[in-house]
Amino acid sequence: MDKRIRVLVAKPGLDGHDRGAKVIARALRDAGMEVIYTGLRQTPEMIVNAALQEDVQVIGVSILSGAHNAIVPRVLDLLREKDMTDVLLIVGGTIPDTDAVRLKQQGVAAVFQPGASLEQVVEFIRSSVKQPA
Amino acid sequence: MRLVTDVVEYATRHVPKYNPVSISGYHIREAGSTAVQELAFTLRDGIEYVEWALARGLDVDDFASRLSFFFNAHNDFFEEIAKYRAARKIWANVMRDRFGAKDERSLKLRFHSQTAGCSLTWQQPYNNIVRTAIQALAAVLGGTQSLHTNSLDEAYALPSEQAVTIALRTQQIIAHESGVTSVADPLGGSYFLEELTRKIERAALDYIRRIDEMGGMIPAIERGFPQSEIADASYRYQQEQERGDRVTVGVNRFTEQQEQSLDILQIDESAEQRQVEKLARLRARRDNLRVTEALQTLRTAAAGDANTIPAMLDCVRAYATTGEICEALRDVFGSWQETSVL
Repeated sequence: MDKRIRVLVAKPGLDGHDRGAKVIARALRDAGMEVIYTGLRQTPEMIVNAALQEDVQVIGVSILSGAHNAIVPRVLDLLREKDMTDVLLIVGGTIPDTDAVRLKQQGVAAVFQPGASLEQVVEFIRSSVKQPA
Repeated sequence: MRLVTDVVEYATRHVPKYNPVSISGYHIREAGSTAVQELAFTLRDGIEYVEWALARGLDVDDFASRLSFFFNAHNDFFEEIAKYRAARKIWANVMRDRFGAKDERSLKLRFHSQTAGCSLTWQQPYNNIVRTAIQALAAVLGGTQSLHTNSLDEAYALPSEQAVTIALRTQQIIAHESGVTSVADPLGGSYFLEELTRKIERAALDYIRRIDEMGGMIPAIERGFPQSEIADASYRYQQEQERGDRVTVGVNRFTEQQEQSLDILQIDESAEQRQVEKLARLRARRDNLRVTEALQTLRTAAAGDANTIPAMLDCVRAYATTGEICEALRDVFGSWQETSVL
């Protein structure tokens, strides 16, 4: 049976730049995925709890405030604490190259920087999420 | 609305030369709206502010001339110029016909402009200098009163000193070398510009009428109307860009394999520590009893009908922090829960 991929799109912190998150959410939905968008000003705890409750396979966090080095490791820690390491964490936003490398080393599945296309994001999720056989 | 009306009322009665509010369309455009939506939603917000100020018992001519606006300066050169021209025309008519303003100064729309942050590209970042210059020129030809030019590296981070200097020099070249500031409305009378201005005016008035029919901007926001119009427009924009229907130089045309690297501003993490220490020192030094009392007076004012500004100023005089003042207001008003509009 075909099961739709479930994705949580989240905006952590005080960053109000939600244009990208909303466009991505819509693109994923148009690509046939089930998308839950958290709205603004979420804490890492709120994001991971929402991911748990919504039983998503992917969390996408959008950060354009420069706070990614503080927020993303916290989300990763919480995923480990709650035994949710099978959930794919992807990050989008204004992430400098050096930070993108570091975030991936810490356990982020992919970092989409400015200029990444909607298609790249959709394709990455489709090819990375393990569908139940 | 309560707070913005408090500011307008307080300024009108006590600080009459203050500009109490900058009615912004910048963030609307950055969120992905069209030029017409930016114009319509901003002016309709302005109408809402005026209505609330009148309901407070203020005379329109006592505060209207101190209102000011804040618009985006985006890529489409003529469309932006026409947008500013249409803004002045619509606002003058609204103030005169809808609100019965008598003072000529009440009809004048003054505005600040900032070039479009969302138009800056990560790829080939030096192209952003040229984009910003063209956008800034549109704002000047459209009659802006003040101008902010973005820096070339703002798709990456907060700007470096060098990038900021180029942005400033861009303004200075327009102001002192190009000669365009020596004449007001230089494109007035051009067939194309006049027609475009009328077209944008009609489309914006149509939005304003629809929001009026919904009962004003607040019911419109509660039902997610401007949010969904903006979300649709921003999704359309992105799709046009990805299909290549909308050309973005260096992104979907004239691309290069190897990107130039930029020296971007790095903010040291010790900045946070310094700020935390500064705050701790302030809290140790101030009269905390006075702070607590001032915040309580603010809560009482907010819960009742009184203007909150005098109480807020007392909080500031007692060295209450912005966070503490906002928390006191949140205790009374709660916080806005965003309705997720996709």
